[in-house]
Amino acid sequence: MTEAPKKRGRLFYKFLLIFLIVSLVPLGIVGYYLVNLSQITLNKAISRDQEALAVGFADTVSSYIINFRNVLFDAAHLEDFSSMNTAKQQGLVSHIMQLHAAFLEISVINADGDETVRLGRFVHESKMRDFSNDALFAKVMRAGEFVGGLEKYMGSYPAITMGVQIVNPVTNQPVGAVLAKMSLTALSSLLKTGFPEATHTQAAVIDSNGFLIAHSNSKEIYKPDAKLPDDVLRILLQNDAKTGGGEIILETTGERVLGAFAEVTELGWVIYIQRSVSVAYQASDDMLKRTWRMMLIVTVFVLFLGYAVSLVITQPIQALREAAIKLGEGDFDYLPDLSMPNDEIGELAHTFMQMSESLKVKTAEIMSAKVELERLNRSLENRVEARTRELKSAQDELIKKERLAAIGQMSSVVGHEIRNPLAVINNSIYFIKTKTNATPNPEPKILKHISIIESEIRQANGIIDEILGYARTRELNPKVMHLNSYLEDLTMSFPVPPHVELVKNFAPENPAVSIDPDEMAQALRNLMKNGIEVMPEHGKLYVRSELVDAGTVRIDVEDTGCGMPKETAEKIFAPFFTTKARGTGLGLAVVKKVADRHKGRVEVSSVVGKGTCFMLYLPVLQNPPQAPR
Amino acid sequence: MAQKILVIDDDNHLRESLVEVLDMEGFSCTEAANAKNGIASAKKNKPDVVIMDIQLPDSSGFQICQELRKFSKDFILIMMTGRFLSAEEKTQGLSLGADEYITKPFDIQELSIRIRQLLSRKGITK
Repeated sequence: MTEAPKKRGRLFYKFLLIFLIVSLVPLGIVGYYLVNLSQITLNKAISRDQEALAVGFADTVSSYIINFRNVLFDAAHLEDFSSMNTAKQQGLVSHIMQLHAAFLEISVINADGDETVRLGRFVHESKMRDFSNDALFAKVMRAGEFVGGLEKYMGSYPAITMGVQIVNPVTNQPVGAVLAKMSLTALSSLLKTGFPEATHTQAAVIDSNGFLIAHSNSKEIYKPDAKLPDDVLRILLQNDAKTGGGEIILETTGERVLGAFAEVTELGWVIYIQRSVSVAYQASDDMLKRTWRMMLIVTVFVLFLGYAVSLVITQPIQALREAAIKLGEGDFDYLPDLSMPNDEIGELAHTFMQMSESLKVKTAEIMSAKVELERLNRSLENRVEARTRELKSAQDELIKKERLAAIGQMSSVVGHEIRNPLAVINNSIYFIKTKTNATPNPEPKILKHISIIESEIRQANGIIDEILGYARTRELNPKVMHLNSYLEDLTMSFPVPPHVELVKNFAPENPAVSIDPDEMAQALRNLMKNGIEVMPEHGKLYVRSELVDAGTVRIDVEDTGCGMPKETAEKIFAPFFTTKARGTGLGLAVVKKVADRHKGRVEVSSVVGKGTCFMLYLPVLQNPPQAPR
Repeated sequence: MAQKILVIDDDNHLRESLVEVLDMEGFSCTEAANAKNGIASAKKNKPDVVIMDIQLPDSSGFQICQELRKFSKDFILIMMTGRFLSAEEKTQGLSLGADEYITKPFDIQELSIRIRQLLSRKGITK
């Protein structure tokens, strides 16, 4: 039998799958939901924060600019200044520039447009310019003040131009204007302070044309073509709202950012703050990571749990399976231990044990039935064999009988037909003999031949007698005889030649037998005659009788002749079988026939060179009449 | 005067040889080859002894036995046979009037003596 491949039960995987689904799916859903929720919340909160910051910075920027304008405004309204005394103005302007490093260049222009004072940090030219046709000057003279004209001062620093009217305090009439260029790099410093690099937040100030005024990363400012990314600018410039914010995906880098903006009132500038989503969602990312970790832990836990549960469930099932395999092999006595927990599986095991018990009983019944059947079969076979043997021997017997009957019939006809001519010859020779003897001097040779013929007639007649005697089927005429006296009479009357010594030895029990005396005599005479014939010179002829058992007596006729080989001994009782030069071969066949007719049997044992013993077995008559004493 | 013997047998050689030797033994023989002639001869010649074969072509020996015994019980009837007779056959023959059975071939002297004994016992001496 082939051992089934040892598979780690599929049940284990099923359990694992179910457990994993049951534990991980809700966890995943909740985690996903929470992360999403946190992102949304963060999104909203950060956007709100950034918006607020933007608004705050808008105010700051506005105040900053207004503050400097106010400085100029205050100075322009000073009497020393409005007096248009150039020397005094020069001193004031110099003082302002000393006080406020942000001012790059300040010019004083009179009402005619002539420059009267010109001071600059990087300007060492003292040539006065004519502003009479200058648009800015005209604007200031008309509107009273001006803030604008953003530029890259010296090609690098973002700068703004401010202008205020110089007003005569008495007449309250404009007498000229003060124009100042002011560096805005301080705004970048301000943004940098508010949004240091570590916060991963960028802030910028732009004007309504997209000109980059300030940036939390001051390097951005000094770039010749400094400006915000186009997609951000598009959003900012196309938006009508004063404040706002939201998530943007930057086209250039593909980075997701949270942006917020606020308008700087009066100036028309926009404060823009952006923070990278990855930074903004730090917390939710942490949450996501934790969720993953939790799922990993749960998976490991579920693996262990699943294994444990499957062990608890599959172990008994495995045991049951092994038991079932053993049962299948017909091993009822060595089933594995099936002591099971007190639950459904235990019940199953109990039922299994009951089943195996009942199976054991049934199998034993079947086995015994099978054995019985085999025994009956064998006995039937034996009976059939025995019957076949009987039939065969009966058939053989029948064939033999038919053959013997045919032989008998033929012998009878032949014998009868030969006897007639023999009788005629016999009569004729008698006539010739009588006539010859009557003559005075009978020829001796004629007498001798007459005698030969007579002898041959006797011989021929003897042969016919033998054949007819064997073929004759007369009724057996049994008489109760005491064997000893019968044998004694028989041997006494039998002519034993002088060269043979007859030795008689009879059973002391003198058993009684039921025999046809004539037939039995013929048989025994044939045996004795045979014995004498094989001892032509000298020898002993034994005639014995011996009680073999209570029911059988054996008569031996033994000679000390030449004996015969085994092959001859086997055929010796067949009719017409003979080893002699003359003879019918019926003598021993008659013996056998007589033995058979007396419900006895005849056997021969012979040793070549030593002699032959014929053994005639006859049934002993039980409860015979008293033997004559 | 010699005793008369009638020999009935269909075998010519046997019949003739038997007649010859019986004549030689001093009997006076007549012969017949079949039952019909045999019975006629017996009626005519009144033999002292009839020796007949038990099987004749025109009749069985037993029938002739009966026929012959119908008109005379004074003769001796000897049946010749070439085979063994069963006890029944012997009994039947004897009951129908046969005196003796002889089996072929037979010794003439013995037969002769037996005939004479039978005749003398019956008182038929001539």
